[in-house]
Amino acid sequence: MLGSVYALVGMGLTLVWGVVGIVNIAHGEFVMLGAYFAFWAFSLIHLNPLLSTAFSIPVFFFFGIMIHKRIMERLIKAQELAALILTFGMSILIWNLAQFLWTNTYRSVPYLTGNFPFFGLVLGKSKTVSFGLAVGITIALFTFLKYSKLGKGIRATSQNSEVALVCGINTMKMRSLTFGMGVGLAGAAGAIVSLQWVIFPQMGGSYISKAFAIVILGGLGNIHGALAGGLIIGVLESLITQYLSAKMAQIIPSMTILIILLLRPTGLFRK
Amino acid sequence: MRRRFLENLTLMSHSFERNRIWLGITILMAFLISIPFFASDYWVTLLVLILIYTVYAAGWNLFSGLTGYTNFGLAWFIGVGGYVSTLLIADYGFFWLFAWPIGALFTSIISIGVGYILLRIKGVYFAISMVALTEGTRELFGTEYLTPITHGGKGVPFVAGIRLPTLYWSILLLAFIAIIICYKITSSKFGLRLMAIREDEQAAETLGVHTTRDKIIAFILSAFFVGLAGAIHFTYQNYIDPTFAFNIQLTLTPIVMTLFGGVGTVFGPVIGATLFTFIHEILWAELTVLYMAIFGGILMVLVLFFPQGLLGWMKEKGIVPRIRKI
Repeated sequence: MLGSVYALVGMGLTLVWGVVGIVNIAHGEFVMLGAYFAFWAFSLIHLNPLLSTAFSIPVFFFFGIMIHKRIMERLIKAQELAALILTFGMSILIWNLAQFLWTNTYRSVPYLTGNFPFFGLVLGKSKTVSFGLAVGITIALFTFLKYSKLGKGIRATSQNSEVALVCGINTMKMRSLTFGMGVGLAGAAGAIVSLQWVIFPQMGGSYISKAFAIVILGGLGNIHGALAGGLIIGVLESLITQYLSAKMAQIIPSMTILIILLLRPTGLFRK
Repeated sequence: MRRRFLENLTLMSHSFERNRIWLGITILMAFLISIPFFASDYWVTLLVLILIYTVYAAGWNLFSGLTGYTNFGLAWFIGVGGYVSTLLIADYGFFWLFAWPIGALFTSIISIGVGYILLRIKGVYFAISMVALTEGTRELFGTEYLTPITHGGKGVPFVAGIRLPTLYWSILLLAFIAIIICYKITSSKFGLRLMAIREDEQAAETLGVHTTRDKIIAFILSAFFVGLAGAIHFTYQNYIDPTFAFNIQLTLTPIVMTLFGGVGTVFGPVIGATLFTFIHEILWAELTVLYMAIFGGILMVLVLFFPQGLLGWMKEKGIVPRIRKI
């Protein structure tokens, strides 16, 4: 269940990485912004968190497109590392601004608390709902990429952007679109996260390390791989928290990154 | 005859110029050494910080600026060097003068292994794996399994019994040596080989550069200096804990300084560290809460508009000569 949300974050990251070629370190911060979006929507206008998840996708989609148009496009010709440092700066800027505006208090959305029994298991209501949401968004994303014309364009750009350009695909537009989708996914993931866990300005950091682990586990730009990677990381984390300690569980993402990069740099799954 | 005379003349003027530069450096060093005798503790402390960050930035630049492998795990060097020397001082009663080099040597010995393993990973993946290494070590140092050695997450307060002027002179010496070595390396064939790796690693390898060996040597050198500066840093702070020692900010600040001064230059990190520590002092006093945001903003602006840094910009404009030695 944890894994489905991680997968959502990871898929956004891998999509942007594969198509736009930008390693977006600020991705975790967009998750944080998404969580705060849901939180404020809930506490100020009492918007249902399920609805605000739906709202957060378009809002963050346009936010992402704006960032890509204004900032990222200047960098397309520059090195990959310049983009890395740039998004790193962006990440710091965003979390510190969030800290400034909303302080360091831990917050949560009190919605759908309580448990219900399910074939002998006790499940949290909010967890089940967020699992459903994450799965729904994932299915929608796959369908979009697989069958729609835009999705095909995005996949073409990811495979070979020059040939795609020759074939009449507006690759620049596809890149903005993908960046927007990546940020939109992060925002949605954030809104879902706010249902289950506490939110605070620095939460992005833990999600970005997990997202990197997922992307590297699944193979760069491989969305199916990211889905599987997310589930693997989620399960591993729960198991280790259960049997060793919560502290040890936090080492998981970094260990995964190191081990996979050394042993199987193309990721666990072939494209 | 006449030609030889002219050649001699140019040689003479060169050596004269070199002498003048050395004279300038000597005067500057004499001035810097004498500072604790007349300046207040505030200025000495500020200078200590500037020098520590100069070594960090120069160490980062020595490896990343020349080879193009962005090292996002500088805090790992700092933390390991700092932790080893701190534990030696605090738990085993070592004298600081011995604890520091042991910490630095330990860092560089481990980084042989780390470099050997991680340096085959290229580009962005290397950067990420270094971040992962730093984060992993930080979490590991805080877990209950390593608590008997590292004192866990609550940290180690300690007193090394070193006076501020002595600390200042040691870091000054270290910074001086680090800059001299950066200078020597940048203007040597070894430096050229590293830059060849930066420009095109495969081409360099085809032309006979032993890329893995050269990268690892640069990595170890960088680790040694940064580890030593880290040891001095935490002796100066009298305190160490995992969050603090492996903080991402310790990686970030030297990188920003180097970007600001000019990546791959010798004096860029020095200029960057000096200016930035002053800016930091002002910002920290005025805007404590938004400090990091401004930092991130500056980083973005630097990458977008001044990717070559201050010194690179000056080289482009012809204010300083376009040579590798600067």
